[in-house]
Amino acid sequence: MGGLQKKKFDRGAATNYITRNRARKKLQLSLADFRRLCILKGIYPHEPKHKKKVNKGSTAPRTFYLMKDIRFLLHEPIVGKFREYKIFVRKLRKAYAKSEWTGVARLRDNKPVYKLDHIIKERYPTFIDALRDIDDALSMGFLFSTFARTGKCHVQTIQLCRRLTVEWMNYIITSRGLKKVFLSIKGIYYQAEVLGQTITWLVPYQFAHDHPTDVDYRVMATFTEMYTTLLGFINFRLYHSLNLVYPPKLDNKAELGLKAENDEDYALDSESYMEKLSALSASLSRVVSSVDEEEAELDHFPVEGEDVEQMEAREKEHNEQEAQKRLFEGLKFFLNREVPRESLAFVLRCFGAEVSWEKSLCIGGTYDVTDETITHHIVDRPNMDKQYINRYYIQPQWVYDSINAKICLPVEDYFIGVTLPPHLSPFVEEKEGDYVPPEKLKIMALQRGEDPVQDEEDDDDEEEEDDEEEEAEEDEEEEEEKADEQNLQKMETQRSQGKSLSVKVTPGKVKKVDPGRLEQEEKAEEKRLAIMMMKKKEKYLYDKIMFGKKRKVREANKLTAKRKAHDDASKTDKKKKAKKQ
Amino acid sequence: MASARRLRRVAAAQPGFMTLNPAVKPEELASGRRKRVNKNKKKNWTKHVDVNDVEDFLEDVRLQERTTGGLISEKSDESLFFLDAGDQKAAAATTAEEPTEQTSRKRRASRPLKVDLILKNSSLVPVPKDVLAYQVPNAKKLRRVAKKAEQLAAIGKVPKKHRRPTKVARNTETTKTAADTPNNPTRDYYDIWGQEAKETGDPWYLKQTGKAAVKRPEKLTGKLSLLPAVEVIAPGGSYNPDFFSHQALLLEAHEVEVKKEKEENKILRQLAYDKDDRATEETVFQEQVEGLEEEDEEDDPDNEDDGCTLGILNLVEKKTEKQRKRERVTKVKEQRRLAARHKTAQQQQLFQLRSIKVSLRQREQRTKQRQIQRRANQEAEKYTPRRLGKLKFKAQDLEVQLTNELTGSLRTLKPEGSVLKDRFKSLQKRNLIEPRERAKFKPRLKVRYVEKRSFREIS
Repeated sequence: MGGLQKKKFDRGAATNYITRNRARKKLQLSLADFRRLCILKGIYPHEPKHKKKVNKGSTAPRTFYLMKDIRFLLHEPIVGKFREYKIFVRKLRKAYAKSEWTGVARLRDNKPVYKLDHIIKERYPTFIDALRDIDDALSMGFLFSTFARTGKCHVQTIQLCRRLTVEWMNYIITSRGLKKVFLSIKGIYYQAEVLGQTITWLVPYQFAHDHPTDVDYRVMATFTEMYTTLLGFINFRLYHSLNLVYPPKLDNKAELGLKAENDEDYALDSESYMEKLSALSASLSRVVSSVDEEEAELDHFPVEGEDVEQMEAREKEHNEQEAQKRLFEGLKFFLNREVPRESLAFVLRCFGAEVSWEKSLCIGGTYDVTDETITHHIVDRPNMDKQYINRYYIQPQWVYDSINAKICLPVEDYFIGVTLPPHLSPFVEEKEGDYVPPEKLKIMALQRGEDPVQDEEDDDDEEEEDDEEEEAEEDEEEEEEKADEQNLQKMETQRSQGKSLSVKVTPGKVKKVDPGRLEQEEKAEEKRLAIMMMKKKEKYLYDKIMFGKKRKVREANKLTAKRKAHDDASKTDKKKKAKKQ
Repeated sequence: MASARRLRRVAAAQPGFMTLNPAVKPEELASGRRKRVNKNKKKNWTKHVDVNDVEDFLEDVRLQERTTGGLISEKSDESLFFLDAGDQKAAAATTAEEPTEQTSRKRRASRPLKVDLILKNSSLVPVPKDVLAYQVPNAKKLRRVAKKAEQLAAIGKVPKKHRRPTKVARNTETTKTAADTPNNPTRDYYDIWGQEAKETGDPWYLKQTGKAAVKRPEKLTGKLSLLPAVEVIAPGGSYNPDFFSHQALLLEAHEVEVKKEKEENKILRQLAYDKDDRATEETVFQEQVEGLEEEDEEDDPDNEDDGCTLGILNLVEKKTEKQRKRERVTKVKEQRRLAARHKTAQQQQLFQLRSIKVSLRQREQRTKQRQIQRRANQEAEKYTPRRLGKLKFKAQDLEVQLTNELTGSLRTLKPEGSVLKDRFKSLQKRNLIEPRERAKFKPRLKVRYVEKRSFREIS
């Protein structure tokens, strides 16, 4: 008994957390500075498990931080810089008010600045850590680089974002890392593989900005500040991993090719180099100028615990990937002025194509429309007046769809003025039994090397066949029985009609025993027996699973049927319209 | 005051103490009755104390010091007394004065003026030394600097002050500050992960001086949310979508809208008033007349109630001894009965072993299920935004284009939604920032319009 009375909220959860305001006071920073510091250092609010314990018995919603995090923040040298900056602003304001212009100039010269390098190193101890967190940085960079210079954020930030994203795109082009592209109504999603990491980013369409009012620009700018630093260091490392010069420089050959007579029309001398880089049409120079990349041959020694088959499969996969990287190699594209130039140039160059555009559209076009060697001309208007005979006039979607399908799709569906097939999302991965849209099935067939017949009707048939195949696996036996029954019924009806049965005696044939078929049957038999031998509990579970599978198949079938009905309806509509015309 | 008095008493008690002022006697100084007054009030410190004697004494001490250069009582006998051996000097002086008138005149001229003599400091107490006159400001530092300079000179080094100014590229400094800002578009990058920074110096020293890098808490490296940084839009959000995926997206958007509408309707329903409660002429009239009609009928039941309460009070009476005893017996009996019943029940449980086992197993199963459920919930929590502040996370509106808005061509496509907002909401969804309301602008002073008096007089 006895002893000191324990005070409430003196230990446990209450001491592990600190409210935002208290943390702010502890650090002696204004709220804006505190928020900035937290973002830069990667310290985020926490929701305590038991709010009442932490909040001294009150349940009022509050923002909490971990005490340890805040204590960690106390050591940050940037905190001092923030305070210095505050004083600097105060002095500057005073100098302005007193109209001391020399004083203002002097203060401006000695403006306190801070660096984020050490924070980057601290937050991402290894390069791979940084690479894993780059999605955000890229999306933010691309977003800010499309901003208009309207004073919503610093012009410098916009310029830096532009530079870094251009560097990134150039890297992806040289490394040929792009995997997927998806044109959505929001923006363009890209996915690339860089050093084994899958990286997804979102690029807004150009000139698509309305500035939403409920977004805190200061917060976003702070995030961007951090992410640009991160992206710069990552770019540096990536460029060096590919033996490229950083900051990027155009190849000598390419630079000569790009040198036009009227460079000054596009940009100032200081900016023209950057513009040429961002045109994405020329390759970059390397530190060691190698003529061709040496092909990294896969080891032919089988790894332990891996047989020859697996190795072969691996090799095959590797070859496939290499082939995908050279999807558009040898093709020459020309972009008409109404298509999104940057996205297309980036995407096409990623797969080894040559790209050019009209001189008046942008700097960096390497050849003219009149070039006879152009193979594809990308157009997005209902018709063209002057057409060259030795090139395909296609709509931009062909490029994206081909990349997602990993093969060059037939160009017929994408000609000028043709209604395009739907642009499917490459980010959807269907599981077994899910509904797969017919367009995707077609693409899959193409990938397998089969040649889908051109006529639509046949196409439909194939779809049905596909469906049937799926179903067939489940109830093959039932069908056989049905067929037998049908035969019998036929015979009976014929007999009842009084016709003489067309019975012939033919010499018997030896039924060929198909060993494969026999094996299958045996397996099926075994399975059935195993099902019979199941315990009640297991059997229940098994039935449940099977039911779920069947339900999925049923749903998928329903959707395909619906689709067919929809297609038929649209076809008839079209026919009617055609007739009317 | 007290200390002065003590001093006085002690000094006066000395055996050879003498006063210069013959009116004051040493015995008087030592004795004297003290008046006893409370000294806890400041007022009493001076009011009820007779300080004259002390002042007299101190005056006397000062006089002694001034005239003799110290307390007479402390002086040696030789300095106080001399042997009187006749008027030799005076005789000599008279003989010397006589010879010349001229010399006497000269002496008169050289003699200091009477005024000066009067003004001359006659005190024998030495004048206190003026310390400041001897002090050199920053003497210690100057001494140290001089010493250091001497040492350096011995080595052959010239101090910075006397060195010839070297060329300082001032431009580079200013450009450096500009290059240091994180958003400088031409800034340089380097291999930050390449070189491992080496620890220089003693780790203990570095830590004590705050130069060592502080270790980042391990918890911070983990992810707050398992949601991906960039969430790809559903396949129906394609610019040229497949029919069914587009329909699925539309359905989703529709459901969101239906939910919103339901909530709105609910609020409207709660706000709506009951139509039966609407005021009619009749009810209005009744309300006005309320209380004016006769109320006699209501009085009667109240009186009856009073009687009732009195009756209850009367009923509470003391129990008799007999009653108490009976109660006790019944109580014990009841307890015994319950105990016996409990015992038999326990015995009977032996035969219920099987059902007990079953129930135990059921309970275990239930706890296991709950554990699984809880774990699943915790896992699911990692995919949902947490409550981080006053406001709850609100997902942005689904980006959807209706069938007639879809153009099917990249050229005519009208982008939907804002990527900026999408990024912002994604940050909120992943718990990186708390949802906040925009701070409202509050004008500090209210603007009031007043008509000027001069103007008012005219109009």
